[in-house]
Amino acid sequence: MKTTLIQNQAQDLSKILKPYNDEWVALSQRNSRVLSNGHNLEKVIEKAHKKGEKHPIVTRVPKDYGNYVLGF
Amino acid sequence: MALKFPYKKFPQNPNEAFPDHKQVQRPVIPITIRYKKKEIDYLALIDSGVDFCIFHGEVGQYLGVDIKSGRKLEFFGITGQKEAAYFHEITICIGGHNKKCYCGFSEFDNSKLPYGILGQKSFFDSFRVMMDYTKNRIELSTAENRVVDVETKKSGST
Repeated sequence: MKTTLIQNQAQDLSKILKPYNDEWVALSQRNSRVLSNGHNLEKVIEKAHKKGEKHPIVTRVPKDYGNYVLGF
Repeated sequence: MALKFPYKKFPQNPNEAFPDHKQVQRPVIPITIRYKKKEIDYLALIDSGVDFCIFHGEVGQYLGVDIKSGRKLEFFGITGQKEAAYFHEITICIGGHNKKCYCGFSEFDNSKLPYGILGQKSFFDSFRVMMDYTKNRIELSTAENRVVDVETKKSGST
């Protein structure tokens, strides 16, 4: 693997995830496009596969990301 | 080898304390979780305040883990309620680095947990972790000392 540099910018998912509420979302690997969404994780991944993404990145979008203080 | 990730921004509703906040920036990275022949790519929060790694129960179900056959741990979570997780041996892969992980799958309401959690055991005990909020950068170091931009390395994706 070669050494590379990346820009010092956070990856902004705030706009693309905002429309979703209390469901699973599958994102593309490279562009973080939303490929599919829904309440059933397996179906969300299946839909993303059908759109050509072999390895979608899934995340759960909560009703509110809240204010995180300490995990457990 | 060092693995390099950007912080991620998520939507956040303004509140009384932070009326102008529309987004929140957190140390969240993509990981791959493997169990037997199945795998899933999933976002996980790096959290040094957590003792162990914990993932959604639904993720475990997708992987074919018989969740309740694992060892049960009860703990107090962010809600202040007693919650439970069941621990299993799985493999997590971060930037091509595979690591056996004894992690919990949650039993509690999935809607409250946005990401998997990477805590002290099985994550911080395997990586040196550098989080630089000012540069929006997270670096994970393993034995070797190369720096790799993980998020642009994968090919064949959309």
